[in-house]
Amino acid sequence: MAVVYEFMWRMLHALLHLQRTILSWFRISIWNWNWRLWRRAVATVLVPAVFGFQNHTHNNKKLVPGGGKKSCGRVRWKSDGKSLEKLPLHVGLLIAEEEPRYTDIANLVVWCMAVGISYVSVYDNQGIFRRNNSRLMDEILKQQQELLGLDSLKYSVEFLNNSNDKPEQQVLSCQATVKVLSPDDGKPGIVKAAQKFCQLVEQQQQRSADLDVNMLDSLLRGTKGMPDPDLVMKFGTVDSTLGFLPWHIRLTEIISLPSHINITYEDFFSALKCYAGCEQRLGK
Amino acid sequence: MSWIRKGELTLIERLSANILKAGPMPKHVAFIMDGNRRYARKLHVERQQGHTQGFDKLAETLRWCLNLEIREVTVYAFSIENFKRAKDEVDGLMELARQKFSRLLDEQEDLEKHGVCIRVLGDLTLLPLDIQKLIAQAVLATKNHNKCFLNVCFAYTSRHEITNAVKEAAWGVEQGLIKPCDVSEFLLDECLYTSNSPDPDLLIRTSGEVRLSDFLLWQTTYSCLVFQSILWPEYSFWNLCEAILQYQLNHHALQKARDLHAEARVLQQLEADRCCAAELLQQTGLGKPLDPQLRQQAVQKYTAEREGRVHSFLTALQEKRDRFFTDLNKGFVASAKA
Repeated sequence: MAVVYEFMWRMLHALLHLQRTILSWFRISIWNWNWRLWRRAVATVLVPAVFGFQNHTHNNKKLVPGGGKKSCGRVRWKSDGKSLEKLPLHVGLLIAEEEPRYTDIANLVVWCMAVGISYVSVYDNQGIFRRNNSRLMDEILKQQQELLGLDSLKYSVEFLNNSNDKPEQQVLSCQATVKVLSPDDGKPGIVKAAQKFCQLVEQQQQRSADLDVNMLDSLLRGTKGMPDPDLVMKFGTVDSTLGFLPWHIRLTEIISLPSHINITYEDFFSALKCYAGCEQRLGK
Repeated sequence: MSWIRKGELTLIERLSANILKAGPMPKHVAFIMDGNRRYARKLHVERQQGHTQGFDKLAETLRWCLNLEIREVTVYAFSIENFKRAKDEVDGLMELARQKFSRLLDEQEDLEKHGVCIRVLGDLTLLPLDIQKLIAQAVLATKNHNKCFLNVCFAYTSRHEITNAVKEAAWGVEQGLIKPCDVSEFLLDECLYTSNSPDPDLLIRTSGEVRLSDFLLWQTTYSCLVFQSILWPEYSFWNLCEAILQYQLNHHALQKARDLHAEARVLQQLEADRCCAAELLQQTGLGKPLDPQLRQQAVQKYTAEREGRVHSFLTALQEKRDRFFTDLNKGFVASAKA
């Protein structure tokens, strides 16, 4: 009997993997088409009725990406940002995919700047971006020039280096801050703050009972801390935060997109629209 | 038992459960039971009704978890932020807690028979004293049961929990049990309210919200997060199966990420031990011995000493925690006798 169940389990998972592969193939090869219409058609055919995975009600925050034409309106981007009910102050780009594509990530960062988002962080759970920090920065500056063209002088980027709190590049007017993060900024960061507090206690400058949430929060943030992320855009099929800033994401909206490869401005903006529709009751 | 609904799965549910169990199953599932008030609004009933239905749904879900051999469940019952709600709603929730915990104490035989261990996680000092005492009784009565575990987060937020863990570590330093450089991820793990539980494999949040709302932020870094749009009182066995399926699809990738993190943690600890051992040698005036074998021995000696310190600290911490519940219970027994 166990063999029968195992066989049925394998069939079920084979079907689900097939569904995923087909959807991702559609996404790659038909990105030019009017996706919304196709999305509903494809979903009705492929999604089994019992398992409402690719639930396309507006409540579900897992987006099937759209094709759509390549956008070219920088002016439009700024007004897009203004048209939203609320815009996140800090967006985290969580790349949960094996092989990151620097150009696509740079595009995402530049779009964030263009719509008016002040803080952007880029994260992967293997520390790839941290190790290739300069490559990413160069790509961002290149895309900034390409996508924003003459306007790029108005949009200036400050890169926060994690080792010392000084910015990598000083610019005249800071409009956006970009930070590259890795798992070391998560739990190990909390451990470092804890050790710092314990040292103060050992030196009798503090008592253990003095510690509260706000104090630990300031120890964690340091002098050049960014605000907590309002929104995390997670790219890839892994349903986890993979160690991204555990302390800071207590109220962060987590919106999933299938991939950052060939991501279009429309998909990016849909995620922002989704975020704008979220209601936070803060416990009340 | 009022907390775990009686009943068995239907034939088709049992078949589906057996198919699912052929694959990797989560051993510990966490629930953010969101949507009680929206459900009440939808049905045009009182909010309190929504919360009561929510509790009934919890009892049913615990039954399904046991049927699926999921032995540990953690639920977010009441956040510290929820104290901000209207007084009558908070009072209603406290009254519900009072009823349910009292009922639990009447069912001790059943709890023992099924081996149910109840733990309540949070800053219990924020709760009314009578509820604290009921909780203490329930926790102490079921402490040694080990067939299945229910962790109820009550007066809880993750940031408070992490802050409390750091406070405990600092207390350890104050008592001279540990040094600041002994503080590590492992030590903080053991100082959290959830120290007796493994990290959740799967976190499910209902009602369509896609945030963690200060729940198990430290423990769910490599958990599978499933956000479902169904309201909690409407949760069904099939919703649970869907979430488990999602877990199974993510299992391999998450295991890989977890292993990577564990490896990195071991290396970080080794590196920290090497630094501390070297510092110690410098302080004692011996300097850095050139012989790698001597260096290695110094590191091993340091590691053993560190682990000894941490062990004594954790024993003292456990005693402190047990005393909190036994003191509350003594008060309860005394006042019951009076």
